[in-house]
Order: sequence, then structure tokens, then C-alpha cells
Amino acid sequence: MRKHSVKSAAIVGSALLVLAACGSNKDEAGGNNGGSCDTSKGTLTVGVVAPLSGNLSALGLGIKQSAELAVDEANKKCTVPGYKLTVSAQDDEANPAKGAQAATKLSTDPNVVGVVGTLNSSVAQTVQPILQEKKIVQVSPANTSPTLTRGAEFQTAPKRQYDNYFRVCTTDDLQGPFAANYLVEKAGKKKIAIITDGKTYGEGLAAELQKQVTKKGGEIVGAEKVGEKDTDFSGVIAKIKGLNPEAVYYGGEYPVAGPLSKQMKDAGLDVPLMGGDGIFDGKFVELGGKEGDLATSVGAPTESLATAKSFVEAYKAKFGKEDYAAYGAFSYDSANVIIGALAKTVEGGAWDESKREAMLTNVAAYSASGATGEVKFDEYGDSTNKVLTVYQVTSSAWKDVQTGEFTG
Amino acid sequence: MSVLLQQLANGVIQGALIALIALGYTMVYGIIQLINFAHGEVFMVASYGGLATFTLLPDDLKKTPAVALPLMFVGGIAVAVLVAVVMERFAYRPLRGSSRLAPLITALGVSVFLQEAVRVWYPDATSNLPYPKVFPEGNLSLGAVNIPWTGVLLIVLSVGLSIILQTYINKSRMGRAMRATAQDPDTAKLMGVNPDRVIVLTFVFGAVLAGVAGVMFGGYLNNINIDMGFQNGIFAFTAAVLGGVGSIRGAVVGAFIIGLIKTLSGQYMPGGTQYDYVWIFVVLILVLVFRPQGLFGEPERVRA
Amino acid sequence: MSTVAISEKRSALAPLGKPLAIAGGVLAVVAALLPWVTFSLNDGNWPDKSTLQFFDAPFLVTGFRWHMLLFGVFILVAALAPTPSRGRVLRALGWGTLAVSFINALYITIKGGGLGAITALDGEVAFGGVVGVVAGVLVILASYGIGIEPVADWKFKVSTPVAYLVLLVAFGGVLYAVAAMLTTGGVGASNPYAGAIFLSFLGFAGGVLAALSGVGLVRWISALSEEHRVFSVIVLAACALLLPFTDAGNEYWMTVAANIGIYAATAIGLNIVVGLAGLLDLGYVAFMGIGALVAANFSGAATAYFGFSLPFPVAAAIAAVVAGIFGAIVGSPTLRVRGDYLAIVTLAFGEIFTRSAQNDIGGFTNGSNAIPGIPALSLFGAEFNRSITIGPVKLPGGVLYYILIVLLVAATMAVFANLKFSRIGRAWIAIREDEDAARAMGIRTGKMKILAFLIGAMLAGLAGAVFAHKNGTVSYESFKFLESITLLAAVILGGMGSIPGAVLGASLLFVLPEKLRDFEEYRLMIFGLALILIMRFRPVGLIPDAHRRAEMAEKADENAEEAHVEARKA
Repeated sequence: MRKHSVKSAAIVGSALLVLAACGSNKDEAGGNNGGSCDTSKGTLTVGVVAPLSGNLSALGLGIKQSAELAVDEANKKCTVPGYKLTVSAQDDEANPAKGAQAATKLSTDPNVVGVVGTLNSSVAQTVQPILQEKKIVQVSPANTSPTLTRGAEFQTAPKRQYDNYFRVCTTDDLQGPFAANYLVEKAGKKKIAIITDGKTYGEGLAAELQKQVTKKGGEIVGAEKVGEKDTDFSGVIAKIKGLNPEAVYYGGEYPVAGPLSKQMKDAGLDVPLMGGDGIFDGKFVELGGKEGDLATSVGAPTESLATAKSFVEAYKAKFGKEDYAAYGAFSYDSANVIIGALAKTVEGGAWDESKREAMLTNVAAYSASGATGEVKFDEYGDSTNKVLTVYQVTSSAWKDVQTGEFTG
Repeated sequence: MSVLLQQLANGVIQGALIALIALGYTMVYGIIQLINFAHGEVFMVASYGGLATFTLLPDDLKKTPAVALPLMFVGGIAVAVLVAVVMERFAYRPLRGSSRLAPLITALGVSVFLQEAVRVWYPDATSNLPYPKVFPEGNLSLGAVNIPWTGVLLIVLSVGLSIILQTYINKSRMGRAMRATAQDPDTAKLMGVNPDRVIVLTFVFGAVLAGVAGVMFGGYLNNINIDMGFQNGIFAFTAAVLGGVGSIRGAVVGAFIIGLIKTLSGQYMPGGTQYDYVWIFVVLILVLVFRPQGLFGEPERVRA
Repeated sequence: MSTVAISEKRSALAPLGKPLAIAGGVLAVVAALLPWVTFSLNDGNWPDKSTLQFFDAPFLVTGFRWHMLLFGVFILVAALAPTPSRGRVLRALGWGTLAVSFINALYITIKGGGLGAITALDGEVAFGGVVGVVAGVLVILASYGIGIEPVADWKFKVSTPVAYLVLLVAFGGVLYAVAAMLTTGGVGASNPYAGAIFLSFLGFAGGVLAALSGVGLVRWISALSEEHRVFSVIVLAACALLLPFTDAGNEYWMTVAANIGIYAATAIGLNIVVGLAGLLDLGYVAFMGIGALVAANFSGAATAYFGFSLPFPVAAAIAAVVAGIFGAIVGSPTLRVRGDYLAIVTLAFGEIFTRSAQNDIGGFTNGSNAIPGIPALSLFGAEFNRSITIGPVKLPGGVLYYILIVLLVAATMAVFANLKFSRIGRAWIAIREDEDAARAMGIRTGKMKILAFLIGAMLAGLAGAVFAHKNGTVSYESFKFLESITLLAAVILGGMGSIPGAVLGASLLFVLPEKLRDFEEYRLMIFGLALILIMRFRPVGLIPDAHRRAEMAEKADENAEEAHVEARKA
């Protein structure tokens, strides 16, 4: 008897899981997407490859939902005549092997017109060749490793790696040095300590910063690593504090940067913490980011960009909260690149796999103003938007202090 | 010199935290020889429970730390105890008497499940969450060394609770039943001890301590995430093994050793903080190889 | 088993058993014909033309509707025809019916935004789901009325040619079922309902499989295959090689299947350590990582440590040897450390590996940037990741990897089987059962335990070498703790110490998440829950090792006796 009750309890439990699983889609069921447009030619898919489960899922979900927003808007505005667009988001678990499977899954579908993703540069490395094989355009909102577009010798002998790969975000070799210039020249901080989370993004950023700081006459007094999942930084802080830095540069994202900044202050190390676009997020302040902390981010400040404001508003209207995370706006732009190029590709005709070649040309020629500023690509597939802005935490909010291009 | 002292202080605070969790591991292992991998998650869930309690409080209470803080402890502990009891009842109890591997795998399953459940169902738990500012702020400054008041509180709670626990187990009737069950469950049963009750109580004690640790963790570090359970759980388990599983004193001493190794190796060993993990495990392996029963453990008994 | 409980139920339900079963069967058929949804869902009609009327176009009856119909017919047959262990068969079919109806009805309810979707709304009625659920419940009740007898034992013997034929048909059926399972819900990203369709299909497949096993067919066939082992292995391998020619033969499934194969080979290695020698390893994926790193560094990739490339077989051999050496090093504490303590040592090793790889220790791992651009394998100029054409048949890209990996898995299985039945294997099992006794019998336990780690790690290293070339990138991110847990779960799910078990376990653990991508947010949670449920309801695994099975049976007898004594006391 008891055994059966346990069994049925298990079944009810799993049923509840399924229930909850589907529950999240309830809102969509009510709406009527693109009802007024002509969708007689069928449905085309914009793929998304990002971590949707595990500890990077906040960033991954931001990417996914922002892409959905772009597709939704396109459906409402009938951007691609004759077609309805959908998003197919595939989880890569931040694992290169799983990313390869996700990419292969998308690449076997003839209706996939392009892929937004990935978050991790290491996953991009396995996804790039798979999508290239099928000439599917890939636009990354978040890969910052310069090697993805320009090869291992990106500074001395740049060479385009994959003709289907583009990105709307900036690369480490711009953002890092830009931050270095600000710290050393403008803020006058000569002794800088570096902390990274050991991941591609943070490591790359910190390495480029380090070069520029030395070039400008500053000094790197120490470099430490913390785990991306850590919450206690007392050990690292005590060590760094002994080196008396004037500023700390953190290569990584806000979930670590916020608490790190707070714990620095609590431990008596009251110097500004600076980071890249990974920490430029409202949550950074919520998690303990202190007054005077700095961040670089791509493009001109949001307040000066109408497109950025309207993205934030539209996102809030669709999802109820502003959880687009660090790469939401980039993902929105990436999806719009694909949609825009698609509209041009199928103009007056119909989609089939042979159009993918034309997609690549159209993406390469794409130019528009997006939520992150001007969206346009250079000959390597990198964004031409080299405008960067330094922000500072002032009365518990990010405020821009310097905007410009990195010039060396 | 001041850096060394600061790192020693950091190590002791971390040790105090790990000790609270390690006690849960060591008690459960002592009684049913199960590495309850999910115990770290009980600690994590408690932290979220405390946070949820705070969120649910009316606004004026939120501003009164004297009320809000105890309520957060109650909330955190309640959630931890609930999770631990349900886990024992539905995941572990049916497996008693099966091979030793089965409950271990179950524990891993529970661990993954709890972590994911919080991530999916707790609002915004996909990334780190800030903890409310209801804890005493500021530092106890001893020369160049800063010890946050929350850290002091953590040490006091940790040491105090382990002494109470040790006394309870040594002196009370129930404590005697626990020791009896740990030594020989069958004989204990014959002597009129209800093993189910003893085991549940063990889980409850562990959960209470983990609950305290969970809420204090948030207060001390101001931020929590879903991985905190696994990470600190590993440290705590290592501490329990180091001290000799089953020994309360061993767990506490082991925990302080782990805390100190972590901060000191990060400071002084080559490779810096990214290899602190490695040094902890190196010490663990050395201890296990030269003293397999741990520092305070008894040599392995042969059981029928 | 709780015999008391069953006999109690029998007294109440016994006379109603057959009528209930017949009623349930009829209702299941009716449910199949009724409409299930009152309106068309947003993303298009619910799978396969849900409002289709059976009489208008009978040949378009597909998907869950077809499954319900089959269930109905099977139930009626089982209830009316003389079926061996009828109660057991009916119980399985009943749960299957319930599962299929429940999953579909629930999904429609949620997608449709309320119960109106599966009952009545705006003048449309659709009670198919409700009727289906009722049918399932009735049949389950009926099965308890009839009583759950033990699985029937088929005594009759067949001549060798007939046995061969039966086995061919059986394995052919398995191949068909696998292909069908992989392709349900469509390939590619286009079907918005793919996840739910797959779940429904699982309900159907599970019900039918349980019914077949209840009737005794599964046991009979497995006995036959045991008898003709060599033939079975050949047919099984042939079936595996035929998969690319089925509907599942597309690039996507070839990639997934190749990855499964890599993990399966690793899981077999782990099965030596855990299943045979009884040494728990929680950091096993590190050996695969070491193998992959070695192969990557000899591959000629731009960021590899060595500037030259070695032929793959040589690199793979080096990878296996290096991984084996590390295996022996990690295994060495086993000389002193036992049981659960060992688990923590291996876990520590796994963590140390990821940390070191992330920090580019010795310059071998390229740190967080990973080693990208590892060239694909090629043979006689054919690159393994391209599609190939043989005469009129065009095989999907990655098929050569698939074949290579099937051969790899077959080879590791052969190694495993040979070891298991050798002197070494018996020594391992002896150590697993009782180390002190084994030592007393003259087994050099220390040497044997290290040997287990060494061989297991070598297999993992070999698999890792293939992994490096298959995926083209080797990053520390692929070898984290969760992967070790997944491997361990694969071994346990399949059945510890059993030869095909690890392969089956790995397949399930990697196919299910792929098929359930729609629920990806819940993937890990379901994984955790599954681990708990497997340990609770089938701790011996899906294909238990014969030796283990016997052991467990003994234990079960003991437990039954105890329960009996306690029952008397009360």
C-alpha cells in the first residue's frame, strides 16, 4: 500500500513539474502574434544558442528573451513580408560539447535563417565551424575574445576566421585599453591590482588592460583570481590590501563584482573597483557596488540613445521586469541584424537554403542604429561601433563620465 | 604582519561557518554512515528561507533589526528543518539497508534537485542576491586587523552551538540514544531506542545548525547564490573527514583548519588564491593516507 | 513485497477485474476517437491534427491518437485472450494509457490556458483527455482486481535457426524503436510541441515495453540472447551501424549519438572502477579531460603545446597512457583510504583538474581560452565531419565519427567483458564484496585496485582523444563535476557491473535532455529527481548484472522475512 502511495506521489510530483514547465509559457498562449500580417509563406526560425540552465542562465535568459522581443516586434511590424518568425532557443549549458549539439540541431533545420549566440567564447569555438558548414549566419551578442574573428595573432596578423560569424559587442583589445587609459590618465591611478574570475571574458579583458596600463606608465601591483561562483572574497581582499593599490580592476561579471566591491570597502580597502560591460548593470549596485566604482561599456550612454530607451521600455512591457542582463541589448541588436538582413534577402522571393549565401552578404552590409548604438560590421565581422563610455556609480546609479573611441 | 593577522582572522571566520555545516555532515555520517551530499544545499536553502522571510515582513518590521533578524533566523531554520526532514523521510529512509552506494547517489540527486528548484522557483535566484542590511554593521578593529561584527557573531554562534550540541549528546537521554544508535543500531533497537526518531532528530539538529549558518552567511557576506551550498558543503565535508567523521570535536577543529589553510595558502602559496582549493585537498589526502580515520576519529569498526 | 496489501485489494475488486478492464479498453478506444481540444492552439493544431475525425480520414490517425487506439486494443486483447500474468500486463497498459492521456491533456490545458481547452468551450466539446484518464484508472484498478502474478516464465526451447530469427526480429524492433524515439516530434527546431509529443511517446513506449516484459517476452528473449551471445553481439553491432540509414540518420542525431558513444565508452571505464571493483569515483571525467588535452596538444591546432601533429592512433595511444598514469596516481590513496573517504579524494582530484586546466597549468591547456581549431579526423582523404555518398545513398555529416565511435564502444565493451570474466575481474568483484576476505584469499588488493583505476582511466583517455577531434575544441568547461555525476548516474542507471548497462545508461542520460530541450530550464531539476527515483525504485539499474541480481534477490528475501516477522508482531 505504502509503496503505491509513494509511487503515485512521485507521479503527481513529476506532473507538477511538467505543469510548472509549461506554466511559464502561459502568457504567450493568450497573445496573438502578428495576426494582421501576411504569413502565407510559412514560418522561419531565428536560432538562439545560450546557457539557459545552470549558473549562467541569468545572462542566457536575457539573451533569449531579448531576441524574442526583437522577433515579436518584427512580426508585429511585418518586417519580413510573407513570413512569421519564431525563436528557437537551445541550451548550451555553457559547455562547448553541448553547444555543438545545439548548433547541429539548428543547422539541420532548413528554416533557420540565422543564429544569435553564444554567450561564452569557448562555446562559440565549437559552434562557428558547424554553422559555417551550412552557411548559417551567426551573430554573437557577447563573445569578446578577439581571436574569434581575427585569429590567434589578432594584433600582428589578423585573419578572418569564419565568414558566417559576426558580433555586435566590442572586443577585449578595445575595452581593456580604454579602461586602462581612463584609470591611469584621467583618474590618475598608477597602482592597479587585477582580480579576474578566470573565465575567457574576464581574463581577456584584464590581459589587454594590463598591457595598456604598463604602456601608460602605471603599475600592476598584483593579480588574483576568484571563482565565478564564489561569495566570500575576504582572503583575496586581505592579500590585495597588503599591496596598497589605488584601484582594483575586476575582469568578470556583476554577480561577483558587486559583493567584491562591498567586501573591499568593509575590509577597509576603500578604492574604486573598475570593470567591463559585464559589471555595467543595475544589479551591481544592488549587490554592493559602492560610490565611485567604474565600468566601461560599449556605445554612447543609454540616455542619449532613443533606441536604447525604447528597447528597455519594450522589454519591460513584454516580460514585466528588466532582467535582460548584461547582453540583452546586444542580443536584441543581433536578432535585428538577422531579421533586417532576412527582409532584404527574401524581398519579393521565397526563403530556401540557397538564400543563406545572400544572408551572409546582407549581414556584412547591414547598417542601422540599434539599442547599443550604431550596428555595422568591419571586414572581420567585428562591430564597427568602437565608441566606449566610462560610467561611475554616483548616488547609487551608473552615470556616464567619459565617452569616446579608443585611439591608442 | 598585519596581512598575516588579517588572513588568520578571515580563516577563523570561515572556519566558524564551515564548522556549523560540518557538524551536520558528521552527525548524519556517524549515525547512518551516509555522506549526505545534500546537506550543503540545506544550508543554501536556509539562506534563501531567511531572505524570503525578510521579504515577506511588513515594511515597518523590516526597519527594526531587533525583530527582523530573529524572525529571519526562525524562517531560515524552519525551511532548513522542513527540507531535511522531507529529504530523510522520502529519499533516504526507503533506502536504509540497501547498498551503500544507493543513498549516496540519492544524496547527489537531492543536491542537484534542491539547487535547481531554488534557481527556477525563487524569484531572481539565477544570479547572486543581496542580503538585507539588518545585521550589525562595522568592524571590530584590533590594530590593523578588521573583523566585521557579523564575523564575530558567527564565531560566537559556531563555538557556542557546538558546545551545546556536544553537551546535549553526552549528557541527555536522547543524546545517549543517538550514540547508541551510532554504535550499533540493532542493539540500540533492542534497548528500546526508536532508530527512526533518532535519525530524524539527527537530521533536524544538522538542519538547525545549517539554518543558523545559512542566515549568518548572508549577513556576513551580503550576498548569496545557489552554488554556495555545494562549495561550502565540500569544504564542510572535507572538514568532517579531516577531523574524523562522526566526531563533533573533530568536525569543529577540522573546519577551523580548513578555513586557515584556505586563506593562508591563498596568501602565501605559489599560484595564489586560485589554488586554495588544491591545497585543502592536498592536506586532506595526506591526512587520509597517514591517518585514514581522521584526526579525532576512531579506527574503522567492522560491522556485521 | 507486500503480499498482504494485494490480497486485501483482491477481496474488493476481484469480481470486477475483467469487466473493469473491458470497460477501460473500450473507453481508451473511444478516447482515441473523441476530439481532445476545443480550439486550435496558438502555435498550430495540437500534434498531428488533433481535431481530426477518425471516420473522415482514418489513415491520418497518428501520434498519441494512434497510441491510445493501440492501447485500447491491447487492453481488450489482454483482458479477453488467455494472457500469461494478465494482471501485470494490464497494470502496465493501464499506466501507459493514463500517462499518454494525462500528458496530452495537461499540456493542452496549460497551453490552452485553462480547463476549457479539454472540456467544453464556446459550443465545442472535447472530452478525449478526460475519457482517456478514466480509462487508464479503470484498467489499473482492474489489474489489481485480477491480481499481480509473477512474470511468466516461458519454458519452451527453440532450435538455433529459429532463435537467430527471433533475435534478429527483436533487435530489428529495438532499432526501429530507437529510431522512432529519436525522430518523434520532428527533427530540427520547427515543432513547438516536440517536447510534449516526445513525453507522450515515452508514455506509450514505456507502457508497451512493461506489458511485453510482464508477459514474459523480454525475459525469454534475453535468455535467448544470453544463450547465443556471439550472434547477439554481432547483430547488435550491426543494428547500431544501421542507425544512420533510418530516419534518425541526420547530422544532428549523428552528432548526439557520437557524443553519447564517447560518454558511453568513458562510462564503461568507470564501470570497471565502480561496478566491478566497487571504488566510488566522483571525479572521473577528469581522465577523459586529460585524454582530450593530450590529443589536442598533438593535433597540430594553432594553440597546441607541441608545434607538430601526430597521427591520430598514436596520439590516442599516448592519451590513453597518460590518462592511465594519472589514474594510477589518483588510485594510489586507495591503498590506505577506503569507501566514502575515497569518494572525497576523487572528487578533490576532479576539482584540482578543472582548476589547473582553467589556469593553464604547464601551458598545456591554454587556460580559459581553451584549445580551439583541432582538425577533424580524416581517413583516405575523407574528413569525418563531412557527409559521404555511397552509390545512391547519401549519409549525413558526422557518420564516420559515429561509425568510429560505435567501434570504440564495441571495443571497450569487449575489453570490459574479457576483464570481467577473467581472473582479474573476479579479483575485483571479490574486493568489491569484501576486501578483507579477498586479501585473505591471497588477492593482492592494492595492486588490483590501482589496476582498476589504471584501466578505467585508459579507456576514458581514449574516449577523450576522440572527443577532442569530434568537438574541435577542448575546454576545461567540458569536464566539470556535473559531468562526473552524469557518468556515474549512467553507470548506475544502466546497472553496475553489467556490460550493456553503461551504454544504455549513457544513451538515456544524453538522449533525454536532447529530446526535452523544450523544458530545458527544468532539465537539471528533472535529472536530480530522476536520480532519486531510480535509487528508490530500481537501485540495481535497468539491466542488472546477473551476479548483482542474485545478490539483491537474496537481500529482498531477507527483507521480506523481516517484514513478515514485524507484521506478526503488530
